[in-house]
Amino acid sequence: MTDNDARVIITNNPNVQQITSIDFAHSSEKLFAQILDYYGIQWEYEPHTFPLEWDDDGNIIEAFSPDFYLPQQDLYVELTTMRPQLITRKNRKLRRLQEIYPQVNIKLFKRGDLRTLMVKYGLDQEAGLITGSEAQKREI
Amino acid sequence: MNLIPTMNSNELVADISEILISSEEIDERIRSMGAEISADYANQRPLFVGVLKGVLFFMADLLRSITIDVEVDFMAVSSYSSETRDQGLVRLVKDLETPIAGRHVIFVEDVVDTGLTLNYLLRNLTTRDPVSLEVCTLFNKPKHRLIDIPIKYKGFDLPDQFVVGYGLDHRERYRNLPFIGILQEDAVYSS
Repeated sequence: MTDNDARVIITNNPNVQQITSIDFAHSSEKLFAQILDYYGIQWEYEPHTFPLEWDDDGNIIEAFSPDFYLPQQDLYVELTTMRPQLITRKNRKLRRLQEIYPQVNIKLFKRGDLRTLMVKYGLDQEAGLITGSEAQKREI
Repeated sequence: MNLIPTMNSNELVADISEILISSEEIDERIRSMGAEISADYANQRPLFVGVLKGVLFFMADLLRSITIDVEVDFMAVSSYSSETRDQGLVRLVKDLETPIAGRHVIFVEDVVDTGLTLNYLLRNLTTRDPVSLEVCTLFNKPKHRLIDIPIKYKGFDLPDQFVVGYGLDHRERYRNLPFIGILQEDAVYSS
């Protein structure tokens, strides 16, 4: 595996998508997509997979697919509803992603960030859904 | 204005865990921004455009610190909420009364956070052919910025905390606090 090979990004969903056609992994992702739609921002859901680790035969053994890509901003967005102490693995993946693909712009919205965003929009019920241990169970 | 007697009897203060930016610091920064804008736009009679409601305190103080001839107008937009989301797209609920074609426009914001609302409004205003369109914000929260927006005049960067006061609200409360304070967590999430 060469450095060049490592930078081959797998394209999953190449086009701007519609909410109704997507099986979101978590309700907070659907809400985030609805907010983007409301403000007229183009987005794609998990459009690319970034290989992060390979075995000796060059097979991908770890990869990362950020939840959203905003093509007009060239920005990836990853959402997580996991408790801060449980996101070590995700943080490690993000660090690895930025080591291998330094040109990739990505923002992580943690659970507290999402709650704040929802409260800001008056979505108290939705904010309540990402508190407590139930939120971890619903996240992939 | 001496605000200390007001603060001691202000029932909203009990929900504030820490004052981040005092009213004196806000006043001083706004005077500096006003002087800078006055110098940049001398003899150009810029139009200051604000989006209601949070900007009203900043707009009032900023305009009083400006020493050149200016005009002011306001817009209002629907925010995403459980009530408006079924309407589809954000929409103007109050448009400008002043044509901006051929004008120098300064878009004034209380805070730029994700940039979603501001991006929508700037796209809208750009179609009206102003000579120039710049952004002036008193507060900037860059951590959650989704839309990269050039900001020409900026007062303060805010940390990633739930802050209120000087126009910033939580469920329409706390705007009238004269400082920027961190809202206690139980006040943020209590119904």
